[in-house]
Amino acid sequence: MPEPKIIGFLCNWCSYRGADTAGMARLKYPPNVKIVRVPCSGRVSPELVLRTFREGADGVMVLGCHIGDCHYSTGNHRAAKRMPVLKKVLEYSGIDPERLCVNWVSAAEGERFAKIITDFTETIRALPPLTEEMTWTKG
Amino acid sequence: MDQRLEALLQTIQKVLPDVDGIIGLKVNAAGHIAPHLFRKEAPAELDGLAIWPKYPTPDTLRLIQKAHPGAKLGMVVRGCEERGVVEMFKHAQVDLSNISLIGLQCTREEAEFCRCAKPYTAHAKLTVGEPIEGVPDPVTEGFLAKTREERLEYWKEQLVRCIKCYGCRNVCPQCFCNVCALEDEKWVGTGWLPMPLPPMYHLVRSMHMTAKCVACRECEEVCPADIPMAIQYRLIAGDVKEMFGYETGVSMDEKPPQLLVLAEGEFERTGLPH
Ligand code: SF4
Ligand code: SF4
Ligand code: FES
Repeated sequence: MPEPKIIGFLCNWCSYRGADTAGMARLKYPPNVKIVRVPCSGRVSPELVLRTFREGADGVMVLGCHIGDCHYSTGNHRAAKRMPVLKKVLEYSGIDPERLCVNWVSAAEGERFAKIITDFTETIRALPPLTEEMTWTKG
Repeated sequence: MDQRLEALLQTIQKVLPDVDGIIGLKVNAAGHIAPHLFRKEAPAELDGLAIWPKYPTPDTLRLIQKAHPGAKLGMVVRGCEERGVVEMFKHAQVDLSNISLIGLQCTREEAEFCRCAKPYTAHAKLTVGEPIEGVPDPVTEGFLAKTREERLEYWKEQLVRCIKCYGCRNVCPQCFCNVCALEDEKWVGTGWLPMPLPPMYHLVRSMHMTAKCVACRECEEVCPADIPMAIQYRLIAGDVKEMFGYETGVSMDEKPPQLLVLAEGEFERTGLPH
């Protein structure tokens, strides 16, 4: 099985710094996640997540500040409203909603970051490549 | 003449002297049904008054109001059309202060045709016909019983026929954005048939109908490929109710979740970690 491709959208103010903290502490976690730094988890539109799948990602992560800690006060409320619905859209489309991970990581939570990345990579590893599922049925 | 049509005609005749016009449906020369603005200056036009097949009139109201902002109007609405104008009102697309709604209650046969859960109006002061209970939706229930793999297969079978004509978007009373994401090359590519998977057009549309779809099923009705896409919108409406306590098109003043800042205790219901 090829290694799964995962894209992680990390908010600049908490989760991205949480990744730094994990790196500084030399915590080990799988290298599958390619990180995209975004200003806020609220910046990540459902369209962006869908396009990321369309481009061949097997899993997508949206990580932001804990609720109440968003740099823009309620930016992560947007994520908290849209992403659960997007998971439902995936579910009703026959795409495993587990392929989308939404979670909160603060700048101090290096260990939490490493654990979320490790767990999600394992989840995605257990699934077939998405591109394999995204082909028209012959016949 | 059909009893309900007769009653509707009488109601319209009662309202007509007090308004500039009434939006309803009329049979045209070719025998097709289309929205029409009935006016007291042309009473003979009421001979063509029609009720079935239904036709989405909320957008007609929006367009007339754009051209004639202060007009005092009446409007014949079924349950779905009433929900349509209520939702448009909350998104600042129509002004209801000068509008008298005339509720037309659907028959069981009509409700079954639409697999409708709410074939009745709730706000219209004047109503025609007896309201009935909602009917089951076997298509959506059947879909829900499928496994994930079967759902994927099901949509492949359905969506392979989609010619991306945009009919479902064009007919939708809740698709009133000036700029449509479905026309943005970033999200929905052009030049392929069938569309590449994942089906961006349909995934984005499902997302955008969240807390907006009023379950009129005009999209399915208009689709030249008979794609039952409203299955998804209906299921998502159920989730939105569960997660945010919001029901589309029901109350005039309840804020849609798009405009909400979630309160303490509301995150739990979205199923996200907190
Ligand atoms: S109306 Fe039907 S064929 Fe046309 S874009 Fe919508 S789903 Fe596709
Ligand atoms: S049923 Fe279809 S046409 Fe009607 S509001 Fe929902 S998405 Fe729009
Ligand atoms: S800034 Fe981190 S979620 Fe908004």
